[in-house]
Amino acid sequence: MSEVFVEISGLKKSFGTLDVLKGIDVTVNRGDVVCIIGPSGSGKSTLLRCVNLLEEPNGGKIVVNGVELTDPDVDIDKARTKIGMVFQSFNLFSHLSVLNNLTVAQRKVLKRGEKEAQQVALRNLERVGLKEKANAMPAQLSGGQQQRVAIARALSMDPEVMLFDEPTSALDPELVGDVLGVMRQLADEGMTMLVVTHEMQFAREVADKVIFMDGGYIVEEGPAAEVIGNPQEERTRTFLRRVLDPTHHGPGDPE
Amino acid sequence: MAMSKRQRAKVFRGVQYGVLIVAIVLLAVFADWGKIQHAFLDFEVAAKLFPNIIVVALKNTIIYSALGFAFGLALGLVLALMKLSSVGPYRWIATAYIEFFRGVPALLVFIAFAYGVPTAFQLRFDTYSTVMLALGIVAGAYMAETIRAGIQAVPKGQIEAARSLGMSASRTMITVVIPQAFRIILPPLTNELIMLTKDSSLIYVIGLAASERELTQFGRQAMNEYRGMTPIVIAGFLYLIITLPLGYLSRHLERRTGGKKVSVV
Ligand SMILES: Nc1ncnc2c1ncn2[C@@H]1O[C@H](COP(=O)(O)OP(=O)(O)OP(=O)(O)O)[C@@H](O)[C@H]1O
Ligand SMILES: [Mg+2]
Repeated sequence: MSEVFVEISGLKKSFGTLDVLKGIDVTVNRGDVVCIIGPSGSGKSTLLRCVNLLEEPNGGKIVVNGVELTDPDVDIDKARTKIGMVFQSFNLFSHLSVLNNLTVAQRKVLKRGEKEAQQVALRNLERVGLKEKANAMPAQLSGGQQQRVAIARALSMDPEVMLFDEPTSALDPELVGDVLGVMRQLADEGMTMLVVTHEMQFAREVADKVIFMDGGYIVEEGPAAEVIGNPQEERTRTFLRRVLDPTHHGPGDPE
Repeated sequence: MAMSKRQRAKVFRGVQYGVLIVAIVLLAVFADWGKIQHAFLDFEVAAKLFPNIIVVALKNTIIYSALGFAFGLALGLVLALMKLSSVGPYRWIATAYIEFFRGVPALLVFIAFAYGVPTAFQLRFDTYSTVMLALGIVAGAYMAETIRAGIQAVPKGQIEAARSLGMSASRTMITVVIPQAFRIILPPLTNELIMLTKDSSLIYVIGLAASERELTQFGRQAMNEYRGMTPIVIAGFLYLIITLPLGYLSRHLERRTGGKKVSVV
């Protein structure tokens, strides 16, 4: 029996007159990896950012581990410590060393002592294979290393769920594998994960469920083998054709 | 006779050098160097200025500038945060303050501060406090705009990363935004310090005892005493000893931060 860990129901979000999310329902079970795919501008990032309230939803309900985040009285800062987020552009604190990137929120938010915070930080740096970079500044690292540090930073807060927004899209192709490797390892360890990605291979191999979004709705969802391997909807098929074989379709290709 | 473009450029450059040389020769021949030196750089007078022009005047200029800068920085930060506040009245107060103190001559503010404030509020400050407040009140208005621009230049992703780790808005401001903003605005802030150092010459209006004189006031006093411009010229050189390295530092910092320009409106 799997336990529902993230429950999103009837989620709506608009920017001014632009309706980006028009009623989204998603459930993520504890320990599952859910991959969200879809064309650019379909609202994938917006959906993910609503899950930790970086964007304020206009309607609907978001419950994470029994806490309703959309309740106006919720302590959102506290809730966010349990929700790790990894951004496309890494967003490491540029004025802090790698180690301090990992300890600052532990100390200021979780009120951990210096020593404990450092131990946790080093343990997580080791997990992503970058223990020797503890004293480097972010600008001295490659994109792939920065993203792995960003993952370690999120993990240092001991989150219960991790959100990834196209974590490899800003990376040189040869660096993508390192980051996906870390994510795969996390998934194997049983982390609950919500991943926006264009890496179909990763989704196929790691995801328990794939969601295809377009035009503010979920068009199709199910096991990776079905949604990616044997899509039922025409829009899903068009999208996958384009992603899996980009050279055969120009940017102006009709849907 | 037609000249090529290159030949013409060569002749033109030759003419420029010629004019320069003639001007220098005329100046050397006809100017009365003895008189000029006597008026502007009389070594006998210069010798009498030391060591007080250093241990009193230069020291006081540095202390006044540093005090004014420190207070101005603190005030500027508060004003910048008020200007970015979501509370309307805070924004209006900060805007009014900044516009007012950037718009009126600093000299007027110093006079008002030296004579108006003590009588109006029944307050008595010592000279150092008066100078710190008077200089800082004006400098804060300028620095507020610089600091605000720096805060707004911090990438949004940095704030989102901090919030996603559970930091509150104010914690994010203190831990992430302000430290990064100050990195960005270090070059313009160094320029503010240069301006402030020069503006510290205006505080003579508050009336200074002999031991409190800074470079300009010291120079004026000595000028009356010894006749001639020498003290003023030396004071000028001493200002340059402060401002030139700061200017160099500012340009160096600007290069180091990749010359990222912060627009100050
Ligand atoms: N802060 C904002 N203000 C206004 N419009 C926004 C904002 N954020 C996103 N949008 C718009 O919402 C729509 C969905 O954006 P979103 O970033 O969620 O798409 P996406 O599916 O993540 O696309 P991509 O694959 O390019 O990242 C886009 O049209 C975008 O321009
Ligand atoms: Mg996106």
